Amino acid sequence: MNRRLLAGLALLGLLVLLACLGALTVDLDDARPLSADVAQPPSWDNPLGTDTAGRDLAAVLVVGTLLTAKVGLLAGLIGIAVGTTLAFLAAYHGGWVDRVISFAVDVLLTVPGLLVLVVIASAWPGQMTTTLMALVIALLAWREPTRQIRAQVLVMREAGYVRMARLSGQGSLAIIFQEMMPNLMPYLGAALVSSVSAAILASVGLEALGLGPRDEPTLGMTIYWMISEGAFLRGLWWWIVEPVTILVALFVGMYLVVIGLDEFANPRLRSLK
Amino acid sequence: MSVLEIDNLHVGYELAAGTLSAVRDLSLSLAAGERLGLVGESGSGKTTTALAVMGLLRAPGRVLGGQIRLDGQDLVGLDDRAFAALRLARVAYVPQGAMNALNPVLRVSDSITHALRDHGAPADANRIADLLAQVGLGADVARRFPHELSGGMKQRVCIAIAISLGPRLIIADEPTSALDVVTQKQVMATLRQAQDRLGSAMILIGHDMGLMAQCVDRVAVMRDGLLVEEGPVRRVFHAPEAPYTAELIRSVPVIGQDRRAGTAAPAAAADLLRFDGVEMRYGKSLFGPPPAPALHKLDLVLPDAPRILSIVGQSGSGKTTIGSIALGLLAPSAGRVLWRGQPLAATPPQTFRREVQAVFQDPYSTFNPFYRVAHALSVPLRRFGLATGDAARALMEESCRAVGLDPSLLDRFAHQLSGGQRQRLMVARALMLRPRLLVADEPVSMVDASMRAAILDLLVDLRDRYGISVLYITHDLATAWRVGDDILVLERGHVVEQGDPDQVLRAPSHQYTRLLLDSIPMPDPDRPWSTAA
Amino acid sequence: MFLLRLTKRLLLMLAVIFTAASLNFLLPKLAPKDPIETKLLELTETGGALTDMKGLVEAYRAKFGLDRPLAEQYLSYIKDTASLDLGQSIAFYPARVTDLVGRALPWTIGLLLTSTLIAFALGTVLGALLAWEGAPRLLGLLAPGVMVLAALPYYLLGLVLIYVFAFSWRLLPLGGGFEMTAIPGLRWDFVLDILRHSLLPAASIVLASVGTWALAMRGMMVTVQGEDYMAYAEANGLSVQRRFFSYGLRNALLPQVTGLALHIGYIAAGSVLVERVFQYPGLGNLLFAAIQQNDYFVIYGVVFILVVMIAVLMLLVDMLYPLLDPRVRR
Repeated sequence: MNRRLLAGLALLGLLVLLACLGALTVDLDDARPLSADVAQPPSWDNPLGTDTAGRDLAAVLVVGTLLTAKVGLLAGLIGIAVGTTLAFLAAYHGGWVDRVISFAVDVLLTVPGLLVLVVIASAWPGQMTTTLMALVIALLAWREPTRQIRAQVLVMREAGYVRMARLSGQGSLAIIFQEMMPNLMPYLGAALVSSVSAAILASVGLEALGLGPRDEPTLGMTIYWMISEGAFLRGLWWWIVEPVTILVALFVGMYLVVIGLDEFANPRLRSLK
Repeated sequence: MSVLEIDNLHVGYELAAGTLSAVRDLSLSLAAGERLGLVGESGSGKTTTALAVMGLLRAPGRVLGGQIRLDGQDLVGLDDRAFAALRLARVAYVPQGAMNALNPVLRVSDSITHALRDHGAPADANRIADLLAQVGLGADVARRFPHELSGGMKQRVCIAIAISLGPRLIIADEPTSALDVVTQKQVMATLRQAQDRLGSAMILIGHDMGLMAQCVDRVAVMRDGLLVEEGPVRRVFHAPEAPYTAELIRSVPVIGQDRRAGTAAPAAAADLLRFDGVEMRYGKSLFGPPPAPALHKLDLVLPDAPRILSIVGQSGSGKTTIGSIALGLLAPSAGRVLWRGQPLAATPPQTFRREVQAVFQDPYSTFNPFYRVAHALSVPLRRFGLATGDAARALMEESCRAVGLDPSLLDRFAHQLSGGQRQRLMVARALMLRPRLLVADEPVSMVDASMRAAILDLLVDLRDRYGISVLYITHDLATAWRVGDDILVLERGHVVEQGDPDQVLRAPSHQYTRLLLDSIPMPDPDRPWSTAA
Repeated sequence: MFLLRLTKRLLLMLAVIFTAASLNFLLPKLAPKDPIETKLLELTETGGALTDMKGLVEAYRAKFGLDRPLAEQYLSYIKDTASLDLGQSIAFYPARVTDLVGRALPWTIGLLLTSTLIAFALGTVLGALLAWEGAPRLLGLLAPGVMVLAALPYYLLGLVLIYVFAFSWRLLPLGGGFEMTAIPGLRWDFVLDILRHSLLPAASIVLASVGTWALAMRGMMVTVQGEDYMAYAEANGLSVQRRFFSYGLRNALLPQVTGLALHIGYIAAGSVLVERVFQYPGLGNLLFAAIQQNDYFVIYGVVFILVVMIAVLMLLVDMLYPLLDPRVRR
């Protein structure tokens, strides 16, 4: 275990704990508009204040954290599943399959993902939901995992023990699942976390641009409403500080876990203290 | 007066758990013009000693006691600045991995200029050309980048840098370990000439007793941080005092001694493996000329009788390609491969797989780090339907014993075993499967010298006791001669010579074979490298 | 070898641009309900005052009308795109998308290029120092801060900066490209006004990406310090400056520059959001406004131009790379 991984896990754990505590103590229905007086600073009834649409921010932040986590996990998991499959197809099959997949990844990694997602997401004006959002993000979430895992499999394929397994009469599937997979697990774990993290980044970005679900108070939508409704001009400091703090904690936590796991998966990087 | 005097040197690593000594009670002295060989296996302390002399020990490593005097000046305790000024100017270093020692983004002229300028010496084109000429390189080399030079040329550039400021002492740390045997001889000749011209002292660090016998005046043998023996080279080689020294000298295989040939093959034996005009080209390039073939129209026959065929070649000769084709891991670009008279492609894969097995060069990657080593032995037993459960275990343990290994090692992970143990385990695996053919690709090149002979003897055992044929692939003529019943010499994909090892190696008809033979450093100071370089 | 690389890179760039253009064409067709048709229909139905939109609808029908075969529509679309005819804005009809983009582009390029170059240079040197054994101890204290910065998306850091410098301390404007009351022109006060307004957006991009570059460089520098040539340089007694710059930093820079090429898209997307947060009059703000109004031709136009810009920048970096690495020259 290294320090960064621990610090990252601690931060994320804290967020989960806050979300759980919040879910128990706050009425989550208050995340809907007109649940309270509008634009009120923190008070006994609304401990984190309310926004200009009369949402209770405590409820919004609890629901938002859960919804944002849902989008990230769904898109990230799809990305890893598709990415791993494509990576093995490419690296193990080789030949034209590899060329097609690698070329597609090269081209798609060159395009700015968020902008392409903007084009795609704009096809559902006003009908966006968190689930649809996750699916849209998953459309591009497989690129990075495919590239990373393919490279890893290519190296592993040349390892002595894989050649030995072929001499032992192991078939391709047995080699993939019995010989390579166990050694790939740390990489897959690191890739999953970074994939989830990238998906959350993309979803919050899309939402801030106004392409998010208007009926669901995700963290990104909170940022969107906050900017659109001019929280700065109106001086509603609590509406700015709270979601930004949560997002900072979320991104820093995920980042620390990603680099911590990376060091874990690539011992070569361990000297990097 | 001595150039270098080391008195009771004690170097250790100060760790939390206590001090770990790397070198103890070491005393040596070296006069101007003298060459000292510092010999030992990995972990013997020879490189640590060199680092201490140059002030390059890294924390937690530190000189804990003793003195190191260069021209009478004690170096222990000098500060970084003083050491930096002393390096190259008074103590020059010729590195081990010359392949990667030169900064890849600098031209040779820049590398040399930096070395001169940082020590306050003038550097101009003439000076650089002169230095390059002293190591047998043309002035045009100055403009080149390291990746445009061969390994031998890079090592010469490093020698040019080492002599640029006329140092009192040159430390050469296995300067030729990455070079092939022919280039090794040429580079060592250049190094010795340059050192003679300067009259400086030289320490040659290494583990190759053959090279030591040819290159140094005195030999110091180290083991586990202690000096085991020290003396003039002739005395040490002819009458070693320490048993360890004797063992090191004995472990160098010499052509003409201890041949382990098998019985002659019956004249009417059928073919086991046959290559007919096999060619191999790697990669296809869309632009430019097609790549040079790794193998040219190769014919090769292995009779169906227990034989060892030695395939000898330097790197890039195509020897490993032959092994991969014989294993069916690689399909030739042209030509036919016949297994017991059948085209390889038409042989049922499961039978063929079982009949041809391998021991690879790198003992560190052949075991899956996720499993205990038994996994590598039990999988083929199960896959080929030979045995499962207790029967499999019994077979595995039996074959471990047959190669002299404790069967309890089966329950360890690979990283808990030494390189030699892993290679034995691989031989045990092959033995257990009773293949017809074993492809052994450089099975001992990554194993400590003292273990090599034992593993080669195991290959001979496979042939004599179990009737398994072996394709022994190596860069080393002497071991090829030692175990081979037939030998085949490869040069850049061409077979230059093949036949009975005694004939091929004792009366070579081809110039390339002669060149290889002449380049082998004999572990005997009285049988000098022929002067033709 | 260099020519081969060049050809490969050019082909890749063309493929990227072509893919982006085709995506813009295909997506509305693939969607369950063509959003453009829907939007136009909605406009013609509700828009009593918008009768002049008829021209737009007809132009759209003429080009993408359902009566024409798809291949034909596609061809004419690609032809128009290649001649940079990106259609007309729905919201600001009859403004041409090309003109709208042209007006916003200098703002974006100015912000993006300056802040990226500053961040890259700062981050690279800082990262190299963080990894260097002989570097001052104090630098090590920066490491956790650098890591936090690297973790944050640009716009989030932007929000923090606005909050502190513009909202709480009122040192700098909350947003925009220049004061509403300012009269544009080539005068000192106007230039200063622009700089004042771009300070926070630029600072968010610089601060948030300095960390990324510093951490990447530190990793590379650690690897490079393990190379044989570093030990050899030390064994030859080369000076510390020489070893740091000509040997360490110089070699670690190679993967760093490759990283720059790969990161341009990410940086551009990030700066789009920064522009949105600061209401900075660049492409990001244009894109945001277009999204609000479902102004599809502007959305597609902005994204297309950004993709082209990124592809060209990547090609540039790739072409410059051989100047740094002799091994890929020729």
